[in-house]
Amino acid sequence: MDAPAVRADGLTKRYGRTVALDHLDLVVPAGQILGYLGPNGAGKTTTLRLLLGLIRPTSGRAEIFGVDAWREPVRAHAHLAYVTSDVALWPTLTGGEVLDLLGHAHGAVDGALREELIASFDLDPTLRVRAYSTGNRQKILLIAALMTRADLLVLDEPTRGLDPLVDQVFRTYIRQARDRGQTVVLSSHELSEVEALCDQVAIVRAGRLVEQRTLAELRQLSALAIEATFPGRPPDLRGVPGVHALEVEGSVLRCQVEGSIEPLLRALAEAGVTRMTSREPSLEELFLAHYDRADVPAP
Amino acid sequence: MKTPTVPAGARPARALVFTLTVRRTVRSGALWGAALGLITATSALSYDRVYPTHALRLALARAFGSNTMTIALFGPAPHLDTVAGFTSFKVSLTLSVLASLWGLRAATGALRGEEETGRWDLLLAGPRRRVATTAQALAGVGVGVVVLAATCALVTTAAIRSPASGLRWTQVLGLGGAVLAAATTFAALGALTSQLDATRHDATTTGVVVLAIAYALRLVADAGLGLHALVWASPLGWVEEMAPLTAPSPVAAVPVAIWAIVLGAAALRGARVRDVGAGLLARDDRRRRRRRLLTGPGALTWRLGSSTILRWWIGITLGAGLIGLVARKAGSTIGGSSVRDVFSRLGATTLGTRAVLGVASLILAVVVSLLAVGQVAAARAEEARGHLDWLVASRVSRVRWLLWRLGAAAIALGGVGLLEGLATWGATASQGAHVGPTLLLEAGANLLPPALTLLGVATALYGLWPRAAVPVSYGLVAWSLLIVIVGGIGAISPWLLDTSVFHHMAGAPAEAPRAAANAIMCAIGLVGIATGVVAFARRDLVAT
Ligand SMILES: Nc1ncnc2c1ncn2[C@@H]1O[C@H](COP(=O)(O)OP(=O)(O)O)[C@@H](O)[C@H]1O
Ligand SMILES: [Mg+2]
Repeated sequence: MDAPAVRADGLTKRYGRTVALDHLDLVVPAGQILGYLGPNGAGKTTTLRLLLGLIRPTSGRAEIFGVDAWREPVRAHAHLAYVTSDVALWPTLTGGEVLDLLGHAHGAVDGALREELIASFDLDPTLRVRAYSTGNRQKILLIAALMTRADLLVLDEPTRGLDPLVDQVFRTYIRQARDRGQTVVLSSHELSEVEALCDQVAIVRAGRLVEQRTLAELRQLSALAIEATFPGRPPDLRGVPGVHALEVEGSVLRCQVEGSIEPLLRALAEAGVTRMTSREPSLEELFLAHYDRADVPAP
Repeated sequence: MKTPTVPAGARPARALVFTLTVRRTVRSGALWGAALGLITATSALSYDRVYPTHALRLALARAFGSNTMTIALFGPAPHLDTVAGFTSFKVSLTLSVLASLWGLRAATGALRGEEETGRWDLLLAGPRRRVATTAQALAGVGVGVVVLAATCALVTTAAIRSPASGLRWTQVLGLGGAVLAAATTFAALGALTSQLDATRHDATTTGVVVLAIAYALRLVADAGLGLHALVWASPLGWVEEMAPLTAPSPVAAVPVAIWAIVLGAAALRGARVRDVGAGLLARDDRRRRRRRLLTGPGALTWRLGSSTILRWWIGITLGAGLIGLVARKAGSTIGGSSVRDVFSRLGATTLGTRAVLGVASLILAVVVSLLAVGQVAAARAEEARGHLDWLVASRVSRVRWLLWRLGAAAIALGGVGLLEGLATWGATASQGAHVGPTLLLEAGANLLPPALTLLGVATALYGLWPRAAVPVSYGLVAWSLLIVIVGGIGAISPWLLDTSVFHHMAGAPAEAPRAAANAIMCAIGLVGIATGVVAFARRDLVAT
């Protein structure tokens, strides 16, 4: 299969005057985990529902492995499994029966994997859905998606409502899926999750794609966080190229630096720095930097 | 799904559930109350125009005043020569049934609907909280019931005139009281069934079954069989006995109050002893895996829907049987030329058993139409709850899913037509009335064209305007019924009559089915279905 797992071309969805998604161009190569990141209301769910052919694009198109998601949903969905956080399942069926049903609807199921997943996620499949807690209902959907070994997993904030232990199990299986060559699109507003799992990150805001890069590229793009300690008062570093977000606290100076760090290092050395640490910013900081900056195109 | 969630960890505000429930029930209560008031006021105001002379009024009173069959179907008809008596006969039963349904739905929605979504999990944790939450929701529904009754009374004041040409203040107040009683009775029932059953759908269905039994009991009580005391066994009977417009009897409010208190208390007790998400009657939360009927959309439709369809089949068989049993006796009381004239206006051209069955066919047609609309409502519910997403996101074609649903509706309707015919035949034969089986099977089939029309309209709406499809379709059934009831008693403009599907249905077996009209109704239904399917294939799936 040469076609990318997901391709969106100018994908747009309007609800009346609300533009939920605005000309999204996105390519997810097969075999990768894409973190689809954005605050609430950014258009993540809208994007995924468009990919699934549940809603109709106002303009543009979405393809799953080269098949149009709206025109040929059945063929497009042959290799896809879907999980959301808004878990509404048939209340009178048991968890196991829901798995049966979704398995049949998908076609092929790895029976051994199903049993393994039920054990790993610690799910009691004999209970009726109405008796499960929200977290347990979430587990049913995760198991249903994973047991199909679908080529593409579309996950819309799948870990909301899961406790940390189950979250770890989830991550293990997602990595395993990637290692087997499956593609994962994981929408989230939790940065730590995306940071821990994803190869690529796409950031949406107000219906627009702000950025799509690998995690590594994204980190390079952005500043390094520096903390330096001096014997006396720290020097005034305003005016040193690339330095911003300066903060002084006693003899400790904190700042971020973008581009070459050479001018900063020279300035620090001249001032007689005694101790210095540098680290890559967390995704959280990257994310905030994005939303704080004025150069983000206004919707 | 816009209901505010409760932030985790935050202490729920003191009366949060009450406030949220009030917000929902007051709006819908005001809307329904206004509609009920409008029905009543327009009926009262039309009396002078339709029956301007004393002679006409006396003729009306003679025709219907002691006509057992219409009384059994629509309620007592005293003082038809007064505006109050006329209005009472025309709208009382409609009002109490609609108010009952409103109360039932408000209660199951507030108590079961919210719990079903899982959003109130936090509020329902622990027995004490569960009782408090339930009590708050019930109080909220209570406010809605009062708003319903008050709005109805308020709108009805438009019809207040002198005793000769309009209603009086006391009568309007009494009418509000009757609406209050009906809605309270079934809200209390809904509160209890919400504890007994585990889903909103089941809780509402159980309540509707009780409503149907209540109707049947008062039907028998009023059928002139010497069983009038049975009226006290029926909640609808209590409201009927309150007779606010003709012979006010506040005593009848006593059983209503007792019922409401007992059922309300039982509901609170039920909330305390059961588990969240479970029902007292549905405690088998654990069950062996049944793999049958999970292989695809068709199988699933049958697995999820067959019990509902079965309940309808049993209901229609019992209902048709009951009418068949009383038909001969009731038919024998019909006589006199004025009555014959009135009956021919209602659609019956022959007397006796067949005339009675012909009149009763209207009620059965309404029930069958409700079943048809109910099938579309079930499809919509499956979509609104997000269940359909899972199927469509895998390899199930949405069009095939809808076709399976419509297929289930067709089976349900076909079965109902057949069972109605057979049940009526069996029941009438047991009473020694000789109406041929062919005639009765034909009468059963004759119920289907209006239902098919409504199924088509509901499906078309479902494809084009999903959020409105269910309320508008049910509204259309109510409208059609109202038009023929009003049209049967007094003059009404012909084009208005034409808007009612039931008007186009012959009162079989009294009349021969109208082939042309039936063909047109079926054609409209099929066009509607086709429109709905095409539109559904092209639209977004939408949650609540
Ligand atoms: N069915 C709908 N009707 C109207 N507006 C909608 C609908 N669905 C989503 N929206 C709007 O589209 C925007 C994006 O929503 P969504 O995709 O759900 O965001 P996210 O999943 O990122 O939180 C929001 O402003 C939301 O209000
Ligand atoms: Mg979302």
